[in-house]
Amino acid sequence: MRARPIRPTLVLLLALLAAACSQAGATPTPPATPSPAIPPSPSASPPTAGFPVTLTDYSGTDVEIPAEPETIVSLTPAATEILFAIEAGYRVVGKVEDIANHPPEAADVPVVATFAGVDIEKIVALEPDLVIAGGNGGTPEDAIERLRALDLPVLVVYAADIEDVFTDMEQIGVAAGEAERSRDLADAMRAQFDAVDAATRELDRPRVFYETGDQPAIYGVADDSFVASMLELAGADPITTGSSTVWEMSQERLVAEDPEIILLGDAAYGVSPEGVAARPGWAEMTAVEANAIRPIDDIVVTRPGPRLVQGLHGLVAAIHPEVEISGASSPPSSASPAASGG
Amino acid sequence: MASRGQVVAPASSFPSAGLIRRRPIVLGLAGLAALAVALAAGVGFGSVAVAPGETLGILTSRVLGLDVTRTWSAATEAIVWDLRLPRVLTAMVVGVGLAVAGATFQGLLRNPLADPYVLGTASGAALGAAIAVLIPVRIVFLEFGLLHGFAFLGALGSVVAVYRLSRIGGMAPLTSLLLTGYALGSLMAAGLAMAMHLSGAALRQIFTYLLGSFDAASWGRLAGAAPLVLVGVLLVMSRARALNGLLLGEETAAHLGVDVRRERVTLLALGSLITAAAVAVSGLIGFVGLVVPHVVRLLVGPNARLVVPLSALFGAGLMTFADLAARMLGEIPVGVVTAVIGAPFFLVLLRRSRTGYEL
Repeated sequence: MRARPIRPTLVLLLALLAAACSQAGATPTPPATPSPAIPPSPSASPPTAGFPVTLTDYSGTDVEIPAEPETIVSLTPAATEILFAIEAGYRVVGKVEDIANHPPEAADVPVVATFAGVDIEKIVALEPDLVIAGGNGGTPEDAIERLRALDLPVLVVYAADIEDVFTDMEQIGVAAGEAERSRDLADAMRAQFDAVDAATRELDRPRVFYETGDQPAIYGVADDSFVASMLELAGADPITTGSSTVWEMSQERLVAEDPEIILLGDAAYGVSPEGVAARPGWAEMTAVEANAIRPIDDIVVTRPGPRLVQGLHGLVAAIHPEVEISGASSPPSSASPAASGG
Repeated sequence: MASRGQVVAPASSFPSAGLIRRRPIVLGLAGLAALAVALAAGVGFGSVAVAPGETLGILTSRVLGLDVTRTWSAATEAIVWDLRLPRVLTAMVVGVGLAVAGATFQGLLRNPLADPYVLGTASGAALGAAIAVLIPVRIVFLEFGLLHGFAFLGALGSVVAVYRLSRIGGMAPLTSLLLTGYALGSLMAAGLAMAMHLSGAALRQIFTYLLGSFDAASWGRLAGAAPLVLVGVLLVMSRARALNGLLLGEETAAHLGVDVRRERVTLLALGSLITAAAVAVSGLIGFVGLVVPHVVRLLVGPNARLVVPLSALFGAGLMTFADLAARMLGEIPVGVVTAVIGAPFFLVLLRRSRTGYEL
């Protein structure tokens, strides 16, 4: 059966090897770095709806988007949520695997990347007009480079702090041709963040330990991290790991810092307040004695997307249950920009 | 062991003399055929379905410059030409390199457990890659990033260090080489653990490198690694006589007219260069370099003139099939596949070998 195709294939193999070697030697094959033809405009990202548009992204690359994208691939869960929130969701043709799809329609978008890696082949086959990737290792850098080498416009976004979430949102909006919606969404979120800040600023700040994992060690939040600033906004004095890169929490340090409240960001992974109270050495902590160990919805606190307001309200409810914030009870699913849109 | 050093394996262990003489040729042809099938399958299959006719059309128009009517999209052409073909060819080149480097180190060190990574190459490359990940500077030269460069230098640097540290009076005794390699490897593994601890979000990059993958293959990277590997392999083949001599022991080799000291350094350098080039593009892929040379020796005997080229062929075939399987199973680590395919096969051969087996 196989006998017939073999000989031609053999010849082909040799020819291919020869071609590959000679070609590689003679001509420099596709340049590794994209060549931005247009120099960066003085104000890097003007929030206009006009195309073509050139945006300077998190990776420092000038990304040129020639026309309003009809097909978009989203490689971060937050970008997927943002695209749906600014009503560009129907154009998302591929997304990174997400354990908590939001909104529910996002679940129907085909998966082109997982935690294990990005399926470049699938993305190329979708012929997207725009790819939104995560910076700082969110999307493997190598994958970003290869997509760019294949002439796909890749916009890299990364939110190191809360203000970045809003600017990312606006940039994604400009890139997707929904600049106005994204600006309204960001403005609405800014207003809600300001409201929370105003409500919590003068309160006593309890020492709060936010647990992000318990296997194999106890993990908390790093200094100056995104979650740490969320906790501060929610009126807490966050207990951090003591380093801006290390998320593992020394138990000695934790006991010494004596948290008044423990928030279980890992509650979805089977960690319960009873289990935490029973950990050897933890009984002495104020939070354990006062039974102030509270599960929390981790995704909306840590995902830099439209539901961050919901996450912040959740934190306030867990840290300062006595505080009422106007608008906190609004249905979270409808992260609607209409509130301030008029 | 009777078979040692004989050009052809002893007749007593095989059914007929005629078959033995023909066996390497038959194996060579079978290997080439398997490789061709692997190439066709590797380019033909992937996570996106491409019609065989389109694949063939793209290849003929690109390779032979024929003016084939385009029935495919630019995306399909990119998938076949820019993603799959360099990936398959890189897997082949790395398979060739690791198998030949393994055969070289096993013969050179007269140790059946030797593999391309035995003298600290793996830990050196891994440490280099991890350090590169920690450096927040992005340099790309001919599609090679800092990670590839540091991995390459780490692999070579560790072998140089091992060789220099193990030298006693101009010669590096085998035991001393192996133990120094082990000691230095452990030290670098500690460095790697430290780098991983410090890496934060970049941990995944280090992890991907440690598991090995051909996902990131490109023409540019293939063009960088292939000449080093293939020239290195040809040079090792040209030294098959010395490799045969060294297998008999230093004294015997010297009596046979082999310049033991020079040949050993040369082969060590070649094996290390091949390994470094391979791990720079693919990460650390285990098992191929250890098992393929053994399988070949079990089949054709210990003569390096046969073992080296057949190892190259089988290494390429195994790696290409392993990578294809890894892709089809959803980008699982290719090292897992090489082990799962290779280990049982090796065990069966080992048990069936009637004469017992030694290097």
